Formats: sequence, C-alpha cells, structure tokens
Amino acid sequence: MISLKTVSKELAAEKRPQAVYDVAAGEAGGKLMVTRGTGRRVREALAEVLEGLPSSGVLYVDTRGVELMDYSFADEALGILVSRVAAGEYGERHVALVEVERDLLENIEASLRQRSLAMIRVDEVGGNPEILGEVPEHLVDTLRAIYDAGSITNVNLATKLGLNHTACNNRATRLLKLGLIHRSKNTAAPGGCQYSYERIA
Amino acid sequence: MRTQLELNIRSRGAMRGILTLGSLDPAFAAAAHTEGEAVVLDLRPVEFVEPSGLCGLAALLELLISRSEEVGLALSGRNVPAYLERMNFFRIFGDRVKTNADVSALEERRRGNPGTLQELVNFHSEEEIPGIINRISEILENKEYGLRERAAICATLSEICANAVEHGHSPFGAYAAVQAYQHIVSGGRERRGEEVLIAIADGGVGVRTTLSRNLQYAELTETDNDALRHALKMGVSGTGEIGRGGGLAVVGQIAARAGGSLSLRSGSGRVTFYGNRTNSRNVPPFPGTFVRVSLPRKTTSSQQLPSSKKHKDVG
Repeated sequence: MISLKTVSKELAAEKRPQAVYDVAAGEAGGKLMVTRGTGRRVREALAEVLEGLPSSGVLYVDTRGVELMDYSFADEALGILVSRVAAGEYGERHVALVEVERDLLENIEASLRQRSLAMIRVDEVGGNPEILGEVPEHLVDTLRAIYDAGSITNVNLATKLGLNHTACNNRATRLLKLGLIHRSKNTAAPGGCQYSYERIA
Repeated sequence: MRTQLELNIRSRGAMRGILTLGSLDPAFAAAAHTEGEAVVLDLRPVEFVEPSGLCGLAALLELLISRSEEVGLALSGRNVPAYLERMNFFRIFGDRVKTNADVSALEERRRGNPGTLQELVNFHSEEEIPGIINRISEILENKEYGLRERAAICATLSEICANAVEHGHSPFGAYAAVQAYQHIVSGGRERRGEEVLIAIADGGVGVRTTLSRNLQYAELTETDNDALRHALKMGVSGTGEIGRGGGLAVVGQIAARAGGSLSLRSGSGRVTFYGNRTNSRNVPPFPGTFVRVSLPRKTTSSQQLPSSKKHKDVG
C-alpha cells in the first residue's frame, strides 16, 4: 500500500462536493456481501448517488460496516464502477473507498488489478489517501506530488518533478484517466489556459 | 433383478471406512451404463461420511434416479444413517430412494445443534447463495472463528456456489455441504487441530466445456486436467470478460494460506492446489464439476488440543 499524503494542507479537495454511501447500511447492501447479483444492485445504488453529485464531486463508498465480501461482489460493485468512472461515463465525478487496512481489501485489490485500475482509499473521510489497485510505477511520484500539493498547476508540477511540460501533462492525464485526480482549467492564467490537477480525497 | 453398485471404501489405513468422492468412482462408472434397471448402492462398508462424500453421493443419486426405475441404498449400523438424516439427506432423497434404514425412527431423534455444519443443501440460482452463506457464517461465529477466518471461508464458498449455478446448466442445480471438525480429517496421520471441509457438486457441463467457449484457451483445454489447472489461474473464465475468473484463484490462495487445499474434479480430471504445488491425475469421469476445500487449523505437536480462540492464528 502506498501512502500518498505526506504533508497536511488546506486543500481544494475539502471543498469538493461529496456524498458518502454506507454499503452495510444501504438498502441494497448489508454485512455479508456476496455474489455478482448483490454487487450489481449495490453498484446501481452507488451509480444513482454518483449521478446526483455536481461535477467534480466525489462519492465515498464506505465499506467499513461490511463483514465479508467475495471477489465476485467486489468486482461487480467496485471493479465495474471504477472502470466506468475511469472511462468517463460519470463525467468529472470521482469515487473513493472508505475502508481500513484489512483482508477485505484483497478482493477489491484483486479486481482492480485484474482490470489494471486503481482507486483512492482513505481510513475515514478526510483521512490519509492511499492507492488501492494498480498504478504504473512511474506515475506514483506524480500522483504523490499532486496529493501533497492538494492542487497544483501543470507548470508547477513539471518543475517539482523535473519534467518538461508535455511529459508532465501526459503523466497527469494518465492519472486523470485512471480516475485518481481531478483536473480544472484556469482560463484566467497568464499566457492563456492552464490546467491544474487536484486530489479528489 | 437389481444391479448392485459397489463402492471403493478403504478397509485399512487413515482413510478406512470414509466415504469420499473417490470412493464413489466405481459406482459413477457403473451408473454411466445403467439403462433403466433397478440399482442398489451398497454403502454398508461406510463408517464415516465427510461433506465431499455426501455431495458426491447426492450427485451420483441424481444421475442414477434419472437413469433407473428404482434406486436403493443399503446402509448398515446406526451412525451413518443418523448422520445422513442429520445432514437432511433423507429430506432431499427420502421419497426418491429406497433404503433399508428406518428413517422414521431417525427423524424422531432429537436434533442436536452443535452449530458446526451446513446440512446438504440443494440450490438452483445465485439468489439462494447469500442465505446459505449467512447460515455458514453463523456456524463459524458459533465455533469462535474470528472475523478474518470467517470472511475467508465464506468468500470462498460463495464463489464456488456461484460457479456451480452460473456455468453449469445442471439438471439438478448444485449441492453443498459443510462440516467443521475437531480434528484434521484430510491428509493422513496428523489429526491434531481442527478442519472445516466444504464440498460443492453440480451436474453441469464441466470446466473444460465452459472454458473452451473462450476460443483463446483452445490449446489450454485439450484435456480435463489442462482445463482444471488453467481454471485456477487469475483472470481465466469462459466468457473472457475482464474482471471475470478471479474467484477460483482467490479461493485457492485462501485455502493454501490456511495450510489446506482446493481440489477440483470435472470430467476425467482431478487437480489439487496446495499453493506451492498443484497435483493432477486422471480419474474416472465425474458428470459435472466438483469442488472440495480443506481449511485446517493445525496445531503443532507441543501444543494442547486447540481451544479455537487461543489458536486461531496457528497453522
């Protein structure tokens, strides 16, 4: 598990619109989460909440009350949801997992790795963000730099990482496509439009 | 005129008198040639039935009932009939199979509830699985299994149950049974510790047929054993959809980590996965797919017999 946050700061992420879905307490959920059928119902409930969020919003999926989860459920409820978020089906909305370090993560991790995807995990809303799943080695530093900063322009990020602007932008775009960061456009910036990258949790 | 079907029950050694799936092999072979005549299955040498023997027996009887005008079951002694009754065997097969055992007398015996077993259960769809898993989770909680172990066992079981009803097109759905023992049943002489045995059987098309729907596996599914070995790998599934085919691989890892094993049997293949090694051999054909999981809690020789709480991290 890779921890992302090394410095605490006042961040744009804190102002992000958010919703928390408690899987164990939800109507579609419960404490024993098994089978694809159950996973599909939970995913549909999650998608509804996600679609109700304003753009740039983040849905925290809280599985801490779930006692057990099998691979099929994890893949159907989270693996598929994360793949759809990453594919842009929910616009600029994001998903993060609220779960502590325990065995239950294994099935979620296995599903995400199987799909070459990752998601952000926190112990509690506002807690330290960690990566769950698969992020290519060379992108981890970039991701960490964005999370340390909370919000950072491409120019500053490139400087920080010692990369040229294009390479930096390419890396950040890949993270964006994994659904792990948010991008906002600052049109008032000197020299024209400029992207800023923000952490989502 | 009745055909008597013999079993291969060992008369000596660690597996003496135990009804396992393997001991049913001669009867499965004979059942394939049954054409309507009455048959009797001779269970008299059996002294002990474990879940895989029970699920195998259920699958065998389903096959025999479909091919024979009358199916009989010869039982002896008191313990085996009583255990079969306790496992709901006669509730499922009582009116379809003739037996010499006095089942009505068994039904009147008070049913103890040791909280250590899941009776033989017949299921047909994924919707039935959460209820079964819930029940087993309660059993394990009663046995003071910690949340970690409970979660591992139940997550294992639900995957296999889902496989059994999803891929199989089985005429009788699937059978499952679970029993928690106060000693080690699998693997010969060392009996100190505890063990949970899980068995699930279906009468479907089998692993090789399911996987060979996925054309990219054509070369890897030439034999049943090839197909079973391949099915244990992460991401291998009949549909080839991303994210599919993780269940069995994760189950194998959980069982291996507990020092146990995952056995698969389908067609004429049999593969057992121990984590660091995978054994396979050719066996008489099984008409469907059979899964057996052993989850032991072994204690080392210097330790007393376990109180499950104290030793939950051992082994």
